[in-house]
Amino acid sequence: MANNFFEIENVSFVAGGKNKVNNVSLKIENEGEIVCLLGPSGIGKTTILRTIAGLEKINKGKINLKGRTISSENIHIEPENRNIALSFQENSLFPHYNIEKNINLGSDRVKDDKKIQTKEVINFLNLNKILNKFPHEISAGEAQRASLARSLVSQPDLLMLDEPLSNVDQSFKEEIQVELKQILTNSKITTIIVTHDSYEAFYLGSKCGIILDGELKQYDDPYNVYHLPNSVEVVNFLNRGTLIPAEVTSPKSLENEDLGTITGNFVRPFPIGSKVKLLIQPEDLQHDDASNLKLEVVDRKFRGSNFIYTLKTLNNKLIPVFVHSHHIHQHEVDEKFGIKRPIHIDHIVCF
Amino acid sequence: MKFNSWYLSSFLVSFIVAIPILTVFASFFQETTNYFDILKNTFLIEYIYNSLILLLGVLVLTLFLGVGCAYVVSFYEFPGVKFFKWALILSFAVPAYIYAYSLTAFFENFGTLYSIFKSLFGPGEYNQSIPKFDGMLGAILSISFSLFGYVYVLTRASFHYQSQNLIELGQNLGFSKYKSFFKIILPSARPAIVAGLALVAMETLSDFGAVSFFGIATLTTGIYDSWISFDDLAFANQLSFFLLLFILGLFFIENISRKKAQYHSPVKGGIKEKKKIKLNFSKGFLAFGFCFLVFLVSFLFPVLQMLYWTIIFPKNLFDLNTFQLFINTIYLVFLSSVVLVIFSFISNYGNRVTKSKFLNYLTTFSITGYAIPGVILAVAFITFIAWFDNAFIKAFEFNSIKRVFIGSIFGLVIVYFIRFYSLAYNGLKTGYERINRSIDESSYLLGYSKIKTFLGIHVPYLKNSVFLIGILITIEVIKELPITLILRPFNFETFATTAYIFASQDLLEAAAVPSLFLILIASTFILITSKFILKD
Repeated sequence: MANNFFEIENVSFVAGGKNKVNNVSLKIENEGEIVCLLGPSGIGKTTILRTIAGLEKINKGKINLKGRTISSENIHIEPENRNIALSFQENSLFPHYNIEKNINLGSDRVKDDKKIQTKEVINFLNLNKILNKFPHEISAGEAQRASLARSLVSQPDLLMLDEPLSNVDQSFKEEIQVELKQILTNSKITTIIVTHDSYEAFYLGSKCGIILDGELKQYDDPYNVYHLPNSVEVVNFLNRGTLIPAEVTSPKSLENEDLGTITGNFVRPFPIGSKVKLLIQPEDLQHDDASNLKLEVVDRKFRGSNFIYTLKTLNNKLIPVFVHSHHIHQHEVDEKFGIKRPIHIDHIVCF
Repeated sequence: MKFNSWYLSSFLVSFIVAIPILTVFASFFQETTNYFDILKNTFLIEYIYNSLILLLGVLVLTLFLGVGCAYVVSFYEFPGVKFFKWALILSFAVPAYIYAYSLTAFFENFGTLYSIFKSLFGPGEYNQSIPKFDGMLGAILSISFSLFGYVYVLTRASFHYQSQNLIELGQNLGFSKYKSFFKIILPSARPAIVAGLALVAMETLSDFGAVSFFGIATLTTGIYDSWISFDDLAFANQLSFFLLLFILGLFFIENISRKKAQYHSPVKGGIKEKKKIKLNFSKGFLAFGFCFLVFLVSFLFPVLQMLYWTIIFPKNLFDLNTFQLFINTIYLVFLSSVVLVIFSFISNYGNRVTKSKFLNYLTTFSITGYAIPGVILAVAFITFIAWFDNAFIKAFEFNSIKRVFIGSIFGLVIVYFIRFYSLAYNGLKTGYERINRSIDESSYLLGYSKIKTFLGIHVPYLKNSVFLIGILITIEVIKELPITLILRPFNFETFATTAYIFASQDLLEAAAVPSLFLILIASTFILITSKFILKD
């Protein structure tokens, strides 16, 4: 079996004497891949990064980087000898150096022929105006970008970013995401990003890990994590759908009291007659004013390019439905809202 | 727990500092000569009674002076307020024993005040009408004017950081100025005031120079006497134990109050600038008069008294080898500062890197050394060296090490180190608390080793703290008397010991020259650091 570039084998991550995340196994096969870890606050995402960086120890399992074990029950390579960079969520710039010096410190140990162009990084992170300032003179967002720049120019074997854009203005965030992905891909820096923003994770990562209830619930590519969540917990965490009761009526259909017959392809097969919970995501149902299946609007969220209507069924289930914002008319709360029939869902996800 | 070199170094530093404290506690169980019975039935009560009276007097006076000055300069605008803000801390430069010499010299029969009356009104019987400030009253005044700065500095900082919102809240509730002061301003500054008073109390109980000059038998002089006069080191240590219990109580009160005072200060985000009340002419004059009077009495008076004697007895100036005293004093200052800064760095960084709870407890215990009077430390140090010499060195038939440690610069610096360790340690710790741990971790992740992080990141960042600590140590070492007196090498004098020796021989006019130099040097260093002292 070929060696993976990076691998976590059955590790339990511990912080402050308490087990945070248990029995994690995860691998990054190729150099240059970007992996995102998603999970609610305080679940242990940062602990995982700190442990990989060597700032915390493990007493079970092992962590390998480039074929070398860097952490195990008996082995602990010191952080300074791992060539792993971690960009912290909080300001970790050296307070007595200006921003330029802080960034340059990152490239000190990199050989000239391998150096990422510092200027390029400074430009794309829009740091030109603050190069001569000191950390206490800049905003939290600027400090975060400067810290990111320092990590990038250090050209590590593994780069880890802890909520790298959490303090960055929304208007600037998407622009940075694009360029960050570009620079990471071009320079082939293997990266693990921790975030609680699923859109950021889905855009940046070639793989996403969902950490919930002290374990890695799902580790897959973003499309699958979104469309094919493997547990109710992941569905609830991503908060992008609702589970309604249904009965499997054939290998390609099921029946719900409110919506009637639903056809499509089951992600996991269930025996005919099984009572299941069916995942309905906002884009699964389509609006049709002419339909005789009418549900009551209880809420309407405007999201710029689209609306998300929340509809109430006769059995008091709340179902989200996505409608393009250029749709010819809008529906107010308490109005009736038509759902196109027959209902067909490409991937039927049931639990 | 990982026993690396940082752990061991940090452990050793804290352990060495803790030795005298442990010695004092251990020696409580030693047998002494029968002087203990004599003292227990006679002098011990007197020691405790005098110590308490002295303490009470000093606390009342420093509370009035410290809070009064802090209130006036913090809340009111009047001519000279900016000057008084820092001028009032100059009293730190005058040790209580030098204040005592000045007080006596000014008011004694045929003293300076008598001379002033004589030159103004001609010869007369003025001595009877001139009040005498000696004995307990003299000691209370000397110590109070020398120490009220602690209450002033801490209370002023607390008033300074009180938000204008708090004051406005009182106004909105319809409180009068009087009611606002007692219901809002004073209660919110109470932790700072208590912390200041606890420091004053510790220093008062530790005072040796002033009380011995006025011949008051307190626990501190009792320790000195039982060792020097009765040659009973064990009894000296037992007295130390009683005093230490009391002082450690104060130490914890001070610590708790200081922590509470932090809660009363605003956190990040700053404070709304306080609007000072501009006083009209008559009230402004009163405020100016009060501050000037305190400044005059606490600082100008001893300086002018010493200057006056230096001028009218110039022979004393020329007879004294001032240059040698200066070199000796600075030599001790330099050695102590270097040793304290280096070892405090090691200990702080060791605590930071190892995150060991045991080390943290040991360090907390060892920094109580600051609360221990210099006399006790010196006696405990001698006790320990004597015990170690007998138990180990002589037992293995090596040459005695007493001469290496007792009556030597080396021993002196070690005890200074123990006495002022908390000053250096806490000073650096305050600096370290401003360095987020993620900064260390970033450094490691950039490939810097622990030693490189220490030298390349921490040391440059903390250079201002080091500068401040260096100066604070300088001020303390220049003023320090009992340790220097007990442990200094033969024929090695500083300004402080020279002044004390002259004064103890009743040669107050000769004590003026070293006293004046001492005050001037200490004042210079206080002025350099006034910005920092007033800030925190």
